[in-house]
Amino acid sequence: MARFPGLSNFEKSVGAKLRQVTWGLVLLLCLCAGIGYAMLYSAANGSPEPWAWRHVVRFAAGLVLMLGIAVIDIRLWLRIAYPVYAVALGLLTFVEFFGVSGFGAQRWLDLWLFQLQPSEVMKIALVLALARCFHGLTHQEVHRPVMLVLPLVLVLAPATLVLRQPDLGTAILLLMSGGALFFVAGVRLWAFGAALAAGLAAIPLGWPFLHDYQRERILTFLNPERDPLGAGYHILQSKIALGSGGMFGKGFLAGTQSHLSFLPERQTDFIFTMLAEEFGLVGGLTLLGLYVLIMIYGIAISLRSTSHFGRLLGIGVTATFFVYVFINMAMVTGLIPVVGVPLPMVSYGGTALMTLMIGLGLLIGVYIHRDVAIPRRPGAVV
Amino acid sequence: MGAREAAGGAPGAEASQVAFDGIANRALKTGRHRLLLIAVLFVIANFVVGLRLVDVTVIGDGFEPRFAAAAAGVRKAQFQRADVFDRNGVLLASNLPTASLSADPAKLLDAAEAAARLSRALPGLDRAALQRRLETPRRFVWIKRNLTPAQQARVNRLGLPGVAFHRAERRVYPLGRAFAHVVGFVDIDNRGIAGIEKTFDEELRGVREGPAAPVYLSVDARFQHVLREELARGMQTFQAAGAAGVILDAATGEVLAMVSLPDFDPNDPSQRDGDARFNRASLGAYEMGSTFKVFTVAMALDAGVVTLSDGYDASEPIRVAGFVIRDYKPEKRWLSVPEIFVHSSNIGAAKMALDIGAERQRAFLSRVGLLDPAGVELPEVATPLTPSPWREINTMTIGFGHGVAVSPLQLAAAVAGIVNGGVFHAPTVVKRAPGDPSLGWRVVTPRTSKLLRGLMRLVVAEGTGGKAAVPGYLVGGKTGTAEKTGARGYRREALVSSFVAAFPIDDPRYVVLVLYDEPKGTAATFNYATGGWTAAPTVARVIARVGPMAGIPADDPEGGEAARGLLVKIAAREGPGVAF
Repeated sequence: MARFPGLSNFEKSVGAKLRQVTWGLVLLLCLCAGIGYAMLYSAANGSPEPWAWRHVVRFAAGLVLMLGIAVIDIRLWLRIAYPVYAVALGLLTFVEFFGVSGFGAQRWLDLWLFQLQPSEVMKIALVLALARCFHGLTHQEVHRPVMLVLPLVLVLAPATLVLRQPDLGTAILLLMSGGALFFVAGVRLWAFGAALAAGLAAIPLGWPFLHDYQRERILTFLNPERDPLGAGYHILQSKIALGSGGMFGKGFLAGTQSHLSFLPERQTDFIFTMLAEEFGLVGGLTLLGLYVLIMIYGIAISLRSTSHFGRLLGIGVTATFFVYVFINMAMVTGLIPVVGVPLPMVSYGGTALMTLMIGLGLLIGVYIHRDVAIPRRPGAVV
Repeated sequence: MGAREAAGGAPGAEASQVAFDGIANRALKTGRHRLLLIAVLFVIANFVVGLRLVDVTVIGDGFEPRFAAAAAGVRKAQFQRADVFDRNGVLLASNLPTASLSADPAKLLDAAEAAARLSRALPGLDRAALQRRLETPRRFVWIKRNLTPAQQARVNRLGLPGVAFHRAERRVYPLGRAFAHVVGFVDIDNRGIAGIEKTFDEELRGVREGPAAPVYLSVDARFQHVLREELARGMQTFQAAGAAGVILDAATGEVLAMVSLPDFDPNDPSQRDGDARFNRASLGAYEMGSTFKVFTVAMALDAGVVTLSDGYDASEPIRVAGFVIRDYKPEKRWLSVPEIFVHSSNIGAAKMALDIGAERQRAFLSRVGLLDPAGVELPEVATPLTPSPWREINTMTIGFGHGVAVSPLQLAAAVAGIVNGGVFHAPTVVKRAPGDPSLGWRVVTPRTSKLLRGLMRLVVAEGTGGKAAVPGYLVGGKTGTAEKTGARGYRREALVSSFVAAFPIDDPRYVVLVLYDEPKGTAATFNYATGGWTAAPTVARVIARVGPMAGIPADDPEGGEAARGLLVKIAAREGPGVAF
């Protein structure tokens, strides 16, 4: 392993890089996807159609994509971070003003095997751009509020656009993963306090601007029983399913709440509920454990990275992954209001899966290129 | 994977970068601390999710909904009057919530306008009459009871001041006509005025004994539908004025089906009057004719007056007290007791009745419940018409079913008491709890019961009741054809034709009675309108449909052991047996 000055541009061969891949992480991802296959098979009442086999095909395609991204030199990502962000923001703006809206919210471009949502591209692009931005700032610069204007714009511009779609889940995800990057970059803690205070202050101001259904969700979250057959239906049915699963669950293919269609969206957002109904607390904690292991990998890779860019990129991806898991699980167990966020590797849905696989490809890439030193400014020598 | 030394500490770094390295080091340290802080945050967050998972899956609490019904807050509607069910829990009478409309004339702005608009919104209201009522000085006037939801919405839209809705309920009979006579109906104030609704009015309203309690009847909706359908078919075929039918549980006297045609829809108050309201099965009293020979033969055998090998001379009609007793199809010879029964000889039955005597006859008929109103839980019960005084001629005619008029329900219950082993049970329409102590009493010996079953089987196998035969089931029965009385004695053309059957006759579970009032013969029956031609085929159709429903296995009616056990030897001696 090259750790010699002047040899920081040392290029490993693709084969050597593949040997460096964290295969333990890949195995964990495969286990999650396997659980996803089983639950989608069950969600279709014991049939690989229409979800389970497609999930596997997409995951396989995603694995190839992930490994392909992992072996690409990390400095390339640094170079194209801003262009990628610009393109993503352009697409987001494009669909915002010219796109055709389906289901009232989803705006996407149709590609083979999956649909490309600019908001999904943005999840990766934002992490790249912020990592690029903070990579170029010194410790002192980060402490100067004026230097935070650019990264704040980088976060708030896409967040505002997706919130207008309206896609509350993605907006929260962008804000939270962006916040994690700010935090690791060393932004002073008072700034977070100020942001939090501003956010709380915005609640009464922002309330009139929320969509009716978003307000309904928040009110219903505070008291699901206020509308058990309407807005509170999802979460009540989910809790009934979880409670009826008990310690060991009702058995594979035997979840009544899900198979009798009481549980809505059982193949996407509420698939965790189905898992917990059929395999009980044990099944739910098992999956949570797998996710925690994946996050440990992400944190460790970030810690191990030599370059600031790699560390920021790694924590950005890990934070994104964490936000997916946390929001979904907290939602189906009634900890937070209903927000449409899928469960990584398990929920049916091509776009979110691809986004995560690309992100995890970058994470593995950070590990493969953990010892590549990157100058703060382009062209400078470390 | 542990963290390694920072890149800034790499050996051979240029001197100009030392200061920079120090800054980079600090940045790196801060970054590492923050990374670890984030890791701690992740751990806490995941721990919270895990705890929450334990909470909702395993622990739970009173506030978490575990059952959908509790979560959805389903409430049962409350009604003043309890439901009525059949023996299997099929709903026979229930309630719908409705609204009734009243007015306070003092609050109305303009009675004429209100009357005009209300009569437009509620068809069937007379505008002038309504206006008169709205102009009275009273403070409360009913406008219309039991509005439909659509009507209520229309009245609401009128926006009239001074009118008010009152929560009300309306009795509904989901099975409509099928149980019109048994269940009965209620008046506009939901008080039972007919059938079970009247008998159990207080129980259903919960006046006397605590809360309103539902009533479970002994009837079986499936049997009722079959009986009603087949009776309606027969009534159509034979152009009868009316029809009645009863299916009884032979062992308990429970009424499983009771039909009277024509009937009416109890949900429609305008249909409730006239002939249709008359329950022919329990309120109608008919001279039943030859079916009474079941009792004559039973009492004669039971009292030892005759044996099966005895007989009577039936070669000549009997002339007594100005009447002539003749046979419908005279054999003009000596007939054994089984022959008298199977060929339905009036002469033989009359002579047998004379041998029994008036006292014993009267006592026996009283024991099988034919001389008093049936003890069934219906307000519509016939009082039997009996001769007074009970002369010799009455004894003879009653021997073949004339001179006493009883309801079809009574006759079926009496026959059940004879064929079920000899224990009579008063008929009931209320479901008997399993294991309820039987309230029956013995009327004939088990041996007599068995002999009568054999004779009734013979009627179907070789006698007047051949049309009641059902392939696969052992049916036994007795035909009955009586002339109705008119202004000048009996009318030959107006018959009451009936058939009473028990099946399976070797161990009867059900007694089926079908009666047609004034049936007309058809080409298919060679213009005969007797019980054997009209009622017997209907009984066969009913049994063919009810038997499988009741789960009675079909067997071979010809060669079966049960059939052979029933064989009755017919004595065919010539010459007088017992002297007349």
